[in-house]
Amino acid sequence: MAQTAEPPQELHFVQYNHSLEAQYLPAIRALISKDLSEPYSIYVYRYFLCQWAHLCFMALSPVDGSLVGVIICKLEVHAVHSTPTRRGYIAMLATASPYRGRGVATALVKMAIDAMAVRKADEIVLETEEDNLSAMRLYERLGFLRSKKLHRYYLNGNSAYRLVLLLRSVDPDSSPGLGEGAITE
Amino acid sequence: MADFGIGVPDELARLSLGNGAEQQASRAPDMNSAGIVAVDITDRFSLAVKTLEPGELVKDEFFTLFESVGALEIMDPKMDSGCIKPGDEFEELYDVRQPLLPEEVLGIIDQLICHEMSWHLGYPLSQTLFTSVYVEALSMPNPVGIEQAIFVRDPKDKSNDQPMLQVLRAYCLGLLKACGYVNERVRAEHSYEEEDFVTNTYNRTLLANVPTDAIRAAITEAKGLLQKLRSDSGHSYRAEVIDALEVRLELRDIFLQATECPQYIKEPNLAQIPWQQGISLLPALKSTHHLCKPVDDSFSAKLQRKLASTIPPRPIVQLGFDDAFENLTRLFQDGLEIIGVLQYTDTQCLQACVSALQSKKPQPLVYVRTLLQTFLFDAMEVLGSMSIRQLIDDDLSIITLPASPLLDRANDEIEVVHDPRFIVSQQMEFFRQRAAQPFLDILRTLCQNRCRVRRTLCHTVRAWDNLQVDAEEVDQVVQAQLKESPLSHMFLDATQHADSLPLSLSSWAYFYKLRQMEWIVQLGFELEVYQGDELAGMYWYLNYLAKCRLRHLERIKSFTVRRAEEIRALKTHENVYAGLQTRQLERSLSFVRLSLLDAAATWELSDALSCLYTVLGRLGLVKPPGRPYSNDEFRYELRMKPFASIGLPELPSFEDFTAGTKQPGTSTDDILEYCERSLMGAKRAFETMTRLPPAESFSVGSHERWLGTAKNALKSCIAAGLVVKTIQVALRKREKADLKFKVEIPTPDKAYHDWWLIPKLTPLP
Repeated sequence: MAQTAEPPQELHFVQYNHSLEAQYLPAIRALISKDLSEPYSIYVYRYFLCQWAHLCFMALSPVDGSLVGVIICKLEVHAVHSTPTRRGYIAMLATASPYRGRGVATALVKMAIDAMAVRKADEIVLETEEDNLSAMRLYERLGFLRSKKLHRYYLNGNSAYRLVLLLRSVDPDSSPGLGEGAITE
Repeated sequence: MADFGIGVPDELARLSLGNGAEQQASRAPDMNSAGIVAVDITDRFSLAVKTLEPGELVKDEFFTLFESVGALEIMDPKMDSGCIKPGDEFEELYDVRQPLLPEEVLGIIDQLICHEMSWHLGYPLSQTLFTSVYVEALSMPNPVGIEQAIFVRDPKDKSNDQPMLQVLRAYCLGLLKACGYVNERVRAEHSYEEEDFVTNTYNRTLLANVPTDAIRAAITEAKGLLQKLRSDSGHSYRAEVIDALEVRLELRDIFLQATECPQYIKEPNLAQIPWQQGISLLPALKSTHHLCKPVDDSFSAKLQRKLASTIPPRPIVQLGFDDAFENLTRLFQDGLEIIGVLQYTDTQCLQACVSALQSKKPQPLVYVRTLLQTFLFDAMEVLGSMSIRQLIDDDLSIITLPASPLLDRANDEIEVVHDPRFIVSQQMEFFRQRAAQPFLDILRTLCQNRCRVRRTLCHTVRAWDNLQVDAEEVDQVVQAQLKESPLSHMFLDATQHADSLPLSLSSWAYFYKLRQMEWIVQLGFELEVYQGDELAGMYWYLNYLAKCRLRHLERIKSFTVRRAEEIRALKTHENVYAGLQTRQLERSLSFVRLSLLDAAATWELSDALSCLYTVLGRLGLVKPPGRPYSNDEFRYELRMKPFASIGLPELPSFEDFTAGTKQPGTSTDDILEYCERSLMGAKRAFETMTRLPPAESFSVGSHERWLGTAKNALKSCIAAGLVVKTIQVALRKREKADLKFKVEIPTPDKAYHDWWLIPKLTPLP
């Protein structure tokens, strides 16, 4: 079993919804941009948050409700190669530095995986920087495998690994239906 | 080979793709038409917007992640390149007319070298060379001739005449022209925009309209100026600085010649000259770098505002001179080395050569890799003179069709449509056309970055799977024809039972398919795709593939041997081709001997390592993570995805894989003993390989590298043997407690060989 310490009991984990935008979007952007060489525009966040609010979770401080961690995902039918699959994608994950090493990120990833599994995701994928060993350890402890290495994937010239978690066997003969498009319930 | 991304970085990369050397300025549409009635919708729009919550997303189904990433927030200094901080100027105010000391020119030039190499490493011009005000002054407006390519665009302005500015100008001209050549080369061949190299020139032409001869003349002229200064005592310039400047101008001239080396594709000795000259000049560049006086002001990120691009402002790339110099040296060394491929011996030596070059660490720069592609494939000819048919026939004659009537060019002369030779000729031509692309793709694929090599192989292996099926059909038609034909005596034995049909073409395709499947797994080790607890399984699968290759090679060998016997029987009679045929057969026998050795070595060593990691797993020294969201079967499915659709060799069942990886019925002692024996076998095979001369190891042109790799594999066997011994001794001594070792699995850069990861055991107190 994952040997990560349980996240601090007192943290509140909240599913995002649009009514929280004014209160939390600036903090979400600030937390995520810290690790980015170039900030994403507000539309990148809204692209994810408005369509897949149910796949975005926040960890909040019980003291003042401030943002401690966040995960942002999407879930779509992916049909570029071969068999179409319902592919979940973890787009962004961040924990405020004072709270790192306490399992906050793991807890957020688990919530996202559970939410995507309920919505019948076949697989969940993400990319992580090749030298971000702690992120890779986190995902690999949960069951992700590195499927490929992506050369100079990031603007800073670093390469990435694509990590994949298979949630169900993908049968090439049964497809989830191409006409469905994005799942936006 | 398109692989569409799914993440934000993919979309960011796509953003800056669209570019031509010179773009048309966009114009507002012409609205003065009788059919168009303009209506002011401001009020209606304002009203409609009031019904929305702030931040609500209004979009159609075509608004994708790409569009959202493309949006910029105006007045955010990190996104809006036109946003000016209070008190700052919009324009870069550096004056290119100002007088410069020779040390300062040297400083600017060496900084330009750093930027040039950053560009070669994959950073865009916007963050490298195009941050130089001198480069900008020469580039814009686009000069249509050498006389316009001056820093101050007023020919009467006397500042242009300053000797130091003339030296700097000549350097920059040579630099930009060379970059133009490099960019053209990279665009012409296969590489990956953004991940390998950024060819975007943001509306600058890199002096496309200025002839190279004029630029070389300007460099010569500037060198003359320096020589004059050297003999002139009326200034206080230091002679060593003047010399250093001359070295740099000389290097520019040499680099320009080097970029033109593809014109000597038929004369490799001439093509090598500038690369050799560059290598001998480089030490003088490094030893004079300390004389530089940097002029940091002459580089500015603000120049990005002038570039035709919507991308946000990005910082100037900082590459140190030592790093840049190392890359520049590598560029020249690798450039020289790739010309070696032009010395063609045969297809297998060529593949070995390309493969050896590309597995160098670090991998040759993109420019060198694209230059290699030009040599290989330019103008539908291979290496400047061979047709693709020659290449394919040569390869077939090495692997499965030595001294074969199928490759007899005389078949092409037959015009009688019922003549079997006519049909054979037709079928073979059909097959060549079918096989050309996949066959050339092997070489093309090897020229890509290592991550792409593995990803591309996952696709090409399927193409070879299909090729094998088509090849089998051709094999059968050809077989049927030859049975009736005067050539049939050559195959009399072979047609006695279906099993003994040579099926030469499909057999050839199967051989390559197996090789590629092995490469995919081996590159997985090299690129650190597998986790520690997966190694037992992945070496087990590699062993499975090597076994298939070995068996297949034994089959190929039996036909080659039989063919040799047939030819020997004919020799004394009327066979005029005996000499040529015997040589071909000897070559094929050499090749099959080498391949058998390689397959056996791979079989034994992968077998041993699979066993070793199984034992480490059993002893709890390599532990799998908890993985609450996964199970062994799903991970097997995911791992084997590239191979699942391949018909032959069949994918082992999950049960077989588990049994092979866990070896439930076998004791740890027995596994270790077996492991030792396999290592001995692998060692013997590698040792035999290292003793083969270049011709017999099919490594003419790259023998040293090939030998180095084989010796490293041998070292891996020895290292693995020591680990096995250590465990055996510890197990014998062990009382009830667990073995106290720390196991480290080395990253490939710390292993003897990228593909053979030997665990390191450290005893714990």
